[in-house]
Amino acid sequence: MSFRPPLTGQVDALITDDYLDSLLAARERRAADVPSVAELDPDVRFAAAALAEGAARVHPSFRFGERLAARLADAAAGITLARAAGESAAAMAPATAGGPIDLLASGPIGTGLPPIGPLDLLDPARPEDDPGIPRRPLIIGGTLASAALSIAGAAIVAWRHNRAAHAGDRVRLA
Amino acid sequence: MERRLVHLDRDRPLVEAALREPARFDALYRKYLAQVYSYAYYELGDHHDAEDATERTFMLALGALPRFQERARPADGDGASTFRVWLFQIARNVVANVRRTRRRRPEAPLEAAFGIASVHDVETRAWRRAEADEAWAAVSRLPDDRRRALVLRFVDELSTAEIAGVLGRSEGAVRVLIHRGLRAVARDLGPRS
Repeated sequence: MSFRPPLTGQVDALITDDYLDSLLAARERRAADVPSVAELDPDVRFAAAALAEGAARVHPSFRFGERLAARLADAAAGITLARAAGESAAAMAPATAGGPIDLLASGPIGTGLPPIGPLDLLDPARPEDDPGIPRRPLIIGGTLASAALSIAGAAIVAWRHNRAAHAGDRVRLA
Repeated sequence: MERRLVHLDRDRPLVEAALREPARFDALYRKYLAQVYSYAYYELGDHHDAEDATERTFMLALGALPRFQERARPADGDGASTFRVWLFQIARNVVANVRRTRRRRPEAPLEAAFGIASVHDVETRAWRRAEADEAWAAVSRLPDDRRRALVLRFVDELSTAEIAGVLGRSEGAVRVLIHRGLRAVARDLGPRS
């Protein structure tokens, strides 16, 4: 069933959208004056102004940011090393040895969240009411036998997997 | 009438650099860390869960970067995608996964995420701050799709076109989601006219 709002609702929504563009642009340039939109419901305008007033961006702690940057750097270095080793897409073909590996099985340090299937999470069409965590682990080749992959290692494996899977159809950025 | 607001991906040079040299992904990470973290925090209302979702989002993005396809020309229609939209698609899925997981265990009220909204703005008058907090508390009670659209619009300042890409809906549908969300918040705040 497609989502088809009534025409009047669409017009009201368009007016609101135009107002929000003005409101958020004014906030960005720290201007006190926001263009008035006569057609806009004053209650909606007030609600939007209240939300804009309180919509502070929350920054993570410096410690967390730098720790994650270091992990990403480690993963990036691993990707670069794997490339330098000259691993070809052929080497990534599924082999018979080795068991299924959940790419994020180990999870981040200090959290109790269960593993997730990362490639499913990359699907933009994935329904938001998807009933749950993927139950089938992703199988990535047979060269990796340990199920205790680090999260940085998971990024490397995903990179290699994606390069192999999409080498043929990836659009090269000009 | 549909308007396309996203025609060029301003992150293209950074994405190309990261594809050539993965260590250059750091620039994309630092550019979007606060946005992704804010989105996760407003959605989850807990710093630890937000950190976890942020970490997973960027690790997944780094690993899957060769899979990213820029589709940001008008001819690409509703499927237009920039790196930012793609990153928030991943974040949306990661956050949704965390929320599903949390349904099985006690959950902190999302209002907790909004109490800090204007703490740092010392010039804001107290009554306005109270109304802002009240408005965001009302957002936390909205259905998932309306709440998510409002957070992306007000906190992360994504355009309607970008939110459409993140949520997998048309721009018209996103505008209606936001408008209805605002009307619901307005009802909670009480009549002003």
